[in-house]
Amino acid sequence: MDGNIAPEGDGDARLRSIEAELALLRAKLEQVGALPAAQGLALSTGAGQEDKLSLIVFSGSLDRLIAAFVLATGAAAMGMQVSMFFTFWGTAALRRDAPNLQKSWLERMFGWMLPKGSRRLPLSQMNMGGGGPLMIRYIMKQKGVASVEEMVELAAELGVVIHVCSMSMELLGMKEAEMLDYPGLSYCGVAKFLETAAPGKITLFV
Amino acid sequence: MNNDVDARGKSCPLPIVLTAKAVRQIAVGQELVIKADDRAFLPDIEAWCKKTGHALVRSASRDGYFEAVVRRTA
Repeated sequence: MDGNIAPEGDGDARLRSIEAELALLRAKLEQVGALPAAQGLALSTGAGQEDKLSLIVFSGSLDRLIAAFVLATGAAAMGMQVSMFFTFWGTAALRRDAPNLQKSWLERMFGWMLPKGSRRLPLSQMNMGGGGPLMIRYIMKQKGVASVEEMVELAAELGVVIHVCSMSMELLGMKEAEMLDYPGLSYCGVAKFLETAAPGKITLFV
Repeated sequence: MNNDVDARGKSCPLPIVLTAKAVRQIAVGQELVIKADDRAFLPDIEAWCKKTGHALVRSASRDGYFEAVVRRTA
């Protein structure tokens, strides 16, 4: 042990270095301790905290549309800001019959094949050549479930915003004149969707 | 005008949607009676009040349906 006993002056220096090291460790400990709090702060002020529901409606089948509108009207009733983005077959689901539109041959082909409005939509399962949707509509009426058309009206009343993907419109050869009459319906691209959805709490793809 | 909601025979989300619409028609501090027989109604109206901040004065199971009283707070 003799060799370990330092002269008095050296002892002071060692004490100081130990104290310095201790201070450093304390500082590090505080940093670690502060970490969860800092993360909590980041969560409460950062992204993903706006009371928003953003729905991408890709599907054009009746059952999925019902699900999308139940969510949208429910969320709006809860006081949330709701945006629905219709793309691909979802865009076609918003169609209504509008004759005498200037269309190319291919656009006309699409026009024949795509459903003309929500009343002609198929089911994603058990479609049975169009018998399925008729049955489900009958059952919905029996059980007091709002129809898609009623829910679209409610959505409008509650301020649900509908955006339609402009690219889908082009792709399916759809014209603005054959789109559902909905207050504030607007056409947009992916940037608008991302800008709207990014700060929101819930984003769903239907 | 009576704004009370009778959503009996209507299923989710109508009881909540109709409640949300009706609460806009009454003044702050006024109460709204909601009747519904959707089995999701009691948990839903509770969640709706929690989320919107309106007060759930009481809710109960009646004979074959549910009844809730909500007070508009803001």
